[in-house]
Amino acid sequence: MDDYVSIQGLTKRFDDVVAVHDVSLNIRQGEIFALLGSSGCGKSTLLRCLAGFEVPSDGRVLLDGEPLASSEPHERPVNMMFQSYALFPHMTVESNVAFGLKQDRLPKAELRERVDAMLELVQLTELRRRKPHQLSGGQQQRVALARSLVKRPKLLLLDEPMGALDRKLRSRMQFEVAAIIERLGVTCMMVTHDQDEAMTMADRIAIMDAGRIVQIGTPDEIYEQPNCRFSAEFIGSVNLFDGTVADDERDHVTITTDDLESSLYVGHGITGYEGMAVAFALRPEKLFIARENPGRLHNQAHGRVEEIGYLGSHSVYHVRLDRGKLIQVITLNNERWAADRLRWGDAVWVHWDDEAGVVLTS
Amino acid sequence: MNLLRRWLPDRRWGVIAPPFLWLSLFFVIPFALVFKISLSEMAIAQPPYVPLLEYLDGVLNVRLNFGNYTWLFDDPLYADAYLSSLGIAAWSTVICLAIGYPMAYAISKMRGSLQNLCLLLVVLPSWTSLLIRVYAWMGILKNDGIINNVLLAVGLIAEPLRLLNTTGAVYVGIVYAYLPFMVLPLYANLTRMDPRLLEAAADLGARPLTRFLRITLPLSVGGVIAGSMLVFIPAVGEFVVPELLGGNEATMIGKVLWGEFFANRDWPVASAVATLMLLVLILPILLFHRYQSRELEVAR
Ligand SMILES: Nc1ncnc2c1ncn2[C@@H]1O[C@H](COP(=O)(O)OP(=O)(O)OP(=O)(O)O)[C@@H](O)[C@H]1O
Ligand SMILES: [Mg+2]
Repeated sequence: MDDYVSIQGLTKRFDDVVAVHDVSLNIRQGEIFALLGSSGCGKSTLLRCLAGFEVPSDGRVLLDGEPLASSEPHERPVNMMFQSYALFPHMTVESNVAFGLKQDRLPKAELRERVDAMLELVQLTELRRRKPHQLSGGQQQRVALARSLVKRPKLLLLDEPMGALDRKLRSRMQFEVAAIIERLGVTCMMVTHDQDEAMTMADRIAIMDAGRIVQIGTPDEIYEQPNCRFSAEFIGSVNLFDGTVADDERDHVTITTDDLESSLYVGHGITGYEGMAVAFALRPEKLFIARENPGRLHNQAHGRVEEIGYLGSHSVYHVRLDRGKLIQVITLNNERWAADRLRWGDAVWVHWDDEAGVVLTS
Repeated sequence: MNLLRRWLPDRRWGVIAPPFLWLSLFFVIPFALVFKISLSEMAIAQPPYVPLLEYLDGVLNVRLNFGNYTWLFDDPLYADAYLSSLGIAAWSTVICLAIGYPMAYAISKMRGSLQNLCLLLVVLPSWTSLLIRVYAWMGILKNDGIINNVLLAVGLIAEPLRLLNTTGAVYVGIVYAYLPFMVLPLYANLTRMDPRLLEAAADLGARPLTRFLRITLPLSVGGVIAGSMLVFIPAVGEFVVPELLGGNEATMIGKVLWGEFFANRDWPVASAVATLMLLVLILPILLFHRYQSRELEVAR
């Protein structure tokens, strides 16, 4: 079902701020959907509208075909994992997990069984009698996850699920949590401002800016085909060239830009017109860097290495082009001893293929 | 010195010293003096008791008189006074809790500016002397006081009710005087509570009453205990209220103490009464202390 969760024109105003602005999107059943955006763009507010803690100013939400409109948080088949976990400090791990099921007045035996199974799944069986303050950050996070999953919600909401973890643990938990959610087949909407987290965990990502959805797509669509400057700059690093369309053909376009001596040649057509102001987005790893002139007609530039960042698996070069623009190039360090490694201050050529970049019209 | 250093690690001296000195100066030393007097004998002298240590002809005489304590156990007056004090203090605490908890809860749920106003109203009466406020209660409760006059005027009663000089009046006075001490710690506890815990409970399907009983109430136990101790402990030794509102009805230990001290000028027995009162109260104080340090550990 493609519109298992359907958010239609959702708007939330606080006095003078519009925290969520006319958001419409659909989430498929069993999908992990990530909301990605910078701090304060309204991610948590959108999630809180779904959980029922905020009443939307406008718009509606359908869950499995039923409107969520006016039901109280405790009546919704939606469970949320909070940004700071919000574990009940006076209850043991076990009681925290069992809390939701107790509200449904489940028979004792079934309750026990489901709590046991959930604790097993998140590997907390040994720690079941501990209190939250006796647990590490990662363990607390798993309790919070178990507590929100044990009721088998129709929709699981995760607000910055890894926010409180250190980097190492975070990347491990990203895979672990995604695996648990997928195994249970729960539909999940998560919020994060960490692009790596969204890319690893989510099936689809929505990029949010100042309360609006800017782009929705799979991780690689979002990365390789950003639809606007904001998406392109928000995810990963990008070199942007401002220019105008000089030649608009069906199978290619050329763009002139002040930053380059030769014009840009793009190997596909765009919806635009000659003379249109556009931006050309080029990811750093799509560029080649060399000492020799590659001898292309288009898509190359001469410059000087200004800085080198050695990051082990790859290196980042900051190259100052002859026209003054600073660009980034990333190369893989796939040889252990390269004889002819580039150095600081070296004169170099950068070049790229016709299909390497994206033309942004907004 | 070595022992002292074990007790008070060097680095912490700066922090520990002020409360340590304060406690020594205003609690340990006065209490030691009182305890000393309680082991002495009454005398018509200035001060009105026999010194414990006497140095005469190269002989140091130490006279410890435990008679004051045995006296307290022999005369049932004292036991009655202790028990009735504990009873009145305990019930007053329960009444304060019953009134103070809803008050503190309501204040903690208000929006900011209103909260401050209500807290101000709670503490405002304490800005005048307790004595004056208790006098005001006498004016309200006495036979030709406000309550009786109103009831007579309305015709509900034919002759004035006896309100003043009853145990009931003592309860009214104590609850009135100590209510702020219940409300403030409870309020402090309730506002500190993370609202997301209640949201999480709601999210997991708990109705409002369940949320209160399973989350708010257990998490405010610290405030309940702190408030109860702040009411109970001073209420046990309360003197002004039973003296002015209770008449001869309520013999509380504070009154007995005052009587021994000023009416009988029997300082040793008065001191013994005070010492025993402290011993009675030390148990709840220690329990409170233990609970508090455990709370701190959890908070960390
Ligand atoms: N209760 C509220 N009253 C007034 N304004 C609010 C309220 N809650 C949120 N806002 C405002 O709405 C906007 C969006 O807030 P929100 O918490 O949704 O951001 P966010 O995207 O989750 O940010 P972060 O990544 O920092 O958590 C912010 O400008 C915030 O100040
Ligand atoms: Mg947030």
